Amino acid sequence: MGKGDRQKSARDKIREQQAADRKREQRKRVTTYVTVGVIALAAVGAGWLYAANRSQSEEAGGALAPITVQADGGVVMARQGVTKPVIDIYEDFQCPACKQLEEVSGQTFKNLAAEGKAKVVYHPITIFSQDPTRGNSIRAGAASRCVSDGKQWSAYHTLLFDNQPSETAQGFKIDDLVAWGKDAGVTSPDFESCVTSQKYAQAQAAYSDKIGKEQKIEGTPTVKLDGRPLDNSVAFAPQQLRDQVTGAAK
Amino acid sequence: MTASQPSHHVRAAIPWVTTVARLVLGVVLIAAGWLKIGNPSDSVVAVKAYRLLPDSIATTVGYGLPILEVVVGVLLVVGLLTRVAGVIAALLMLAFVFGIAWAWANGLRIDCGCFGGGGELAAGQEPSYLLDIVRDFGLVLLGAWTVWFPPGRFALDSPLGLAGGERVLDLEEETA
Repeated sequence: MGKGDRQKSARDKIREQQAADRKREQRKRVTTYVTVGVIALAAVGAGWLYAANRSQSEEAGGALAPITVQADGGVVMARQGVTKPVIDIYEDFQCPACKQLEEVSGQTFKNLAAEGKAKVVYHPITIFSQDPTRGNSIRAGAASRCVSDGKQWSAYHTLLFDNQPSETAQGFKIDDLVAWGKDAGVTSPDFESCVTSQKYAQAQAAYSDKIGKEQKIEGTPTVKLDGRPLDNSVAFAPQQLRDQVTGAAK
Repeated sequence: MTASQPSHHVRAAIPWVTTVARLVLGVVLIAAGWLKIGNPSDSVVAVKAYRLLPDSIATTVGYGLPILEVVVGVLLVVGLLTRVAGVIAALLMLAFVFGIAWAWANGLRIDCGCFGGGGELAAGQEPSYLLDIVRDFGLVLLGAWTVWFPPGRFALDSPLGLAGGERVLDLEEETA
């Protein structure tokens, strides 16, 4: 083996060594890159699950607690003899966040009342001051007042939120309001004429003004537990809502 | 000489501009996400208010958007996976520009819900669509800059050898 050959093989060795080093470095970099990427994705996934979990609605329990439609327009849902804690729900049939509250926490309110753990009072009010939202809300609120049976009222209440119209167009039309009453099983014979004549439009507006001032309602939905407003992060999180209410009962 | 000196200065400034772009975009994203993350339902209502997505998808987006903003924002601030984070941030901002323009064009009167809140405006409140669009479009540009010139100074990508984003993967192919 000549001197030149030895030098050459040494150079080759170094070159191979460098190539191997580069490859190792490279592999390390790819591993780091993928690891960080996976951690970031996992964080997003975990956050999504947490959000979805918090907003998980309760399953429907047994029968509803007795529901009484009061003369002033408030609707009480409570088992006999249950007087506290009191959950007051101030809501507007036209308000999207109220629809969301009904979707997320509506079942929890019903279950708590059915279990005798709370007295729930619905206050359908009109919070909007401009058309078309005000007109929509008044029509729906007035129509709901035409339902005097508690169970039927609850079914109608659900249907109104399910069919909530856009905030930029006229909705909750009289014909629809009458038809949904039939769907909800409303039996009272003067329901149709009551909705068509908007018999309670005035009462709905007056009640909304009165409640808005008395209860200092700044927006809907407002949920109060024994008179104190609940934070939205509780009202819209069924498990926390339940904990807070059962905690207030002690 | 006279021509090369300014270009040298410009080249030296680029990584610093990237750092500033990353920090501004990242901090805005973290703030926007953080303000929404405590109340997923508000976030869902804000997304639904655009009337752009079907309800089930709007719900998924409402739950996922705040955490996505926070994670991408953190990656940008610390300069990790800078290029990928920049792409996602720029695409997010483009989507917001589109969403707000959509709301405007359709005559909706909503709050963009960019930093929490959102939904229909009360009487007397006026939408601020133009301002929102200009702001978000500016953020698109910052994102694009970050994608073009990653990762800038003070980026974790550099000590980890990840500078250049996917270029890591390109090199892999070359050496293989």
